[in-house]
Amino acid sequence: MLDRVKAIEDFSKIRVEVNSLGLIPAFGVMIQNLPSGFWNRFSRKILDAAGEDLFDATEALLENAAAECGYHTGYGIMTSDEFEAVLGPHIKDDKQGLLHGLYAVFCAWGWADAEIVELVPFEKMIVHAYDYYESDIDSNERHFAYMIKGISRAFMDLAFSEPYPNGLGGYSCVQTKGIEKGDDYGEFIVKPANPID
Amino acid sequence: MTSERSNVKFEAVREFDLKRMRHYLNGTQTVLHCHHYASLFTQLACDAKHLNGPALLSEAAAETLYPILKDYYINNHIMEFSDRISIAEQYFAFIGLGNIRFEFAPERGTAILRHSHIDEGWLKKWGANTERVNFIGEGFIRAASVAIFDLRIDAEITIKETQSIVMGASRSKFEIKWRGHYAG
Repeated sequence: MLDRVKAIEDFSKIRVEVNSLGLIPAFGVMIQNLPSGFWNRFSRKILDAAGEDLFDATEALLENAAAECGYHTGYGIMTSDEFEAVLGPHIKDDKQGLLHGLYAVFCAWGWADAEIVELVPFEKMIVHAYDYYESDIDSNERHFAYMIKGISRAFMDLAFSEPYPNGLGGYSCVQTKGIEKGDDYGEFIVKPANPID
Repeated sequence: MTSERSNVKFEAVREFDLKRMRHYLNGTQTVLHCHHYASLFTQLACDAKHLNGPALLSEAAAETLYPILKDYYINNHIMEFSDRISIAEQYFAFIGLGNIRFEFAPERGTAILRHSHIDEGWLKKWGANTERVNFIGEGFIRAASVAIFDLRIDAEITIKETQSIVMGASRSKFEIKWRGHYAG
């Protein structure tokens, strides 16, 4: 059983450092460390500009950006020496442990204070987020956690879809609660994108 | 007015709030994201040209980054232009946006990027592009220009990217002017 707090603490100590070129290559991707307010601000601006006609499509693109981020960065993390060092060598063969580990990284990277509260392998995952930067903005009474939605479905893909890099898109995510709408926490339900009846 | 004369060092205080799972750099909340995320936000802005998407992305960067630089200068008593320029360049690198070098003359300037997270991230993800993509960098340059010279955030500053790494140039170049003067 994963010691969540210890894992988060351990992962938060892994420094991603800038190199002499001003770049941060790590886990097979290039990272930047922008203020969280920047991502919220642009999301708000582009959704306002989109209006009702393009709102759904714009929301989908914001979520997709996070899904690709979560998929590629998540793969880089879960195959890293640092991931194995924190969670142990058995982690590669333990899909549920792997997912819990990815959410420890999720927290350690500052994406959200989030954890899996229900997991049915291949079928369903419910995530609760108790604090997240996407709730810091006036959401106009709509759910605004596109980043958590995208990354959550991407992590489910990493665990249960086709092997990387062919698995993205196997799952979809619905946000059913949000701090930005007055709920006590955000709730995210991930299920197969095209379930077999 | 270049940074060559300045030895001032950007001081970074990084904190992680284990209770809220939030990172802070000098008191501002930050978050780690990858080049896929930045590239897809940029692509979204490009796709939304009819909604001024690139300008919105640039604005969001400028509005977010300007108060950070301004507060840094105030809190650390950075008054000399050369020191301010150096701090802006170091901050740009510290957060992983690349290597930027400013050269300013009165009411004009240039910014040279020898490395750019946005351009090189795009190249890594999709390859070369026929149009420029570094709207986040443009916003940073606006924020820095305003903060360095104590201009108003809504000052009429024209920033034009004349060379772009993502379009095949060895470095990106932005020309900056305000009050009608071009960088030379």
